[in-house]
Amino acid sequence: MFAAGAKFREVALNRGNYPSSRWRVLSQIIVVLAAVALTCAVGTPAQTKPRAQSSSTANSDEIATPGKSIGNRAAPITMEVFSDYQCPSCGNFYESTLKYMITDYVAAGKVYFIHRDFPLPMHPYSHQAARWSNAAAKIGKFQEVDAALFDNQAAWSADGNIEKFVAAALKPADFKRVQRLMVGCESNTSAAVKPASLSGKGQADRGCALDIYIEQDQALAKLLPVTQTPTSVITYKGQRYPAMPGFVTWPILKSFLDSLLSQ
Amino acid sequence: MADPEIIPRFASQPVAGTQSMTKEARENSRRIFLLVGRLAFAATFLFAAYAKLKPQAAMPWSVASVKTSLSMFAMQVDSYQLLPPQAVSAAAHWLPFIELGLGLWLLSGLWLRYSSLFTTLLLGGFFALMVRTYASGLEINCGCFGPGEKLGVKSLIRDGSLLGFSLAVTVCAFLSKRKHRDEVISAPASPAISSPQSAN
Repeated sequence: MFAAGAKFREVALNRGNYPSSRWRVLSQIIVVLAAVALTCAVGTPAQTKPRAQSSSTANSDEIATPGKSIGNRAAPITMEVFSDYQCPSCGNFYESTLKYMITDYVAAGKVYFIHRDFPLPMHPYSHQAARWSNAAAKIGKFQEVDAALFDNQAAWSADGNIEKFVAAALKPADFKRVQRLMVGCESNTSAAVKPASLSGKGQADRGCALDIYIEQDQALAKLLPVTQTPTSVITYKGQRYPAMPGFVTWPILKSFLDSLLSQ
Repeated sequence: MADPEIIPRFASQPVAGTQSMTKEARENSRRIFLLVGRLAFAATFLFAAYAKLKPQAAMPWSVASVKTSLSMFAMQVDSYQLLPPQAVSAAAHWLPFIELGLGLWLLSGLWLRYSSLFTTLLLGGFFALMVRTYASGLEINCGCFGPGEKLGVKSLIRDGSLLGFSLAVTVCAFLSKRKHRDEVISAPASPAISSPQSAN
């Protein structure tokens, strides 16, 4: 084979047009076969994926916290954002992207926005902030407290005084209701540490009743899986798109939402 | 009795043959390496383009679904926080087609030196961007082969290896071309081909 190749190349060299068309034809055949194999290989998993995604959408609906959402549930697009109230990138995402989306697309009934709590252990007050947010959601004041927490993120992150900003965002009567829901949630420890522990007198620690909602969101995050904040999950007409971690600017997100709505 | 002059002449023939065979084998290995490298990169870029263009979430192939996929890719490019939105949009809408074109160019085998050089430059750019993003602590999707792949050590090792391989293919392609040019210049013209009439 090599000898034949040498002879062929010798002739080709004399002709001065090496590599010759014979090699090119051979490479084209190999290439076409490779392309066909590639297409077949990548085509199969793409068809099987959506089934798994639709089942996880059902799980998501089952464990959704009803109050931590803004907009019309029947909107064609549902956007879930896994967020940490103390994470700077989440604050930036809220201020420069989500605010505009809520004003333009959620208000217009195009997008249904769901907040998912994903407090990261590295942020000391994020779990407590999530509790305040859940308490407010229980009385239907999620949007106000959500905005107040992100708007004043830098202030309460310094000393952990979240209550001050929640109080400022709500009417006194509403704040009292929220305070009542926060009974047992004053300690800044997370549910992961608290419920199973026993006090010195042998009595079980009651824990914070709101932590269950945070745990539900964290369980959902594990299913997807979500590992960082912010992470956006967009569902359009029942089809869930892959989770998008990281900050996204409003013009780019808007372009994506428009492309979905134009389908 | 054998003529003593014949022995060295006879002995010298296998040596020349061995050298020729070694040169031949080396030349064949180089050609195989270039072919494998070219096809591997062609497949890689075609797959990368396909992964970015294919409709997501069980949507059928259509202009609208491809536009949605490109918009989704734009979100991934945007998460690198490097370019302004206008540039992000342009980059995200052009890059999959550039990858598609490069994949087809590599498949064709035309001007391999330039296609492999372009591949190396493109991979070098991607790798530098990934290293910068990883070093800055951003936890985002790589976006290399469609959505869902995190930017991490694994993707950095993979892209670094691809860059190294691409560099090797480029160097080999340039050396091969130079060697071929030198051979063409130094090779004596074959009488059978250069002057066919002289054979008669």
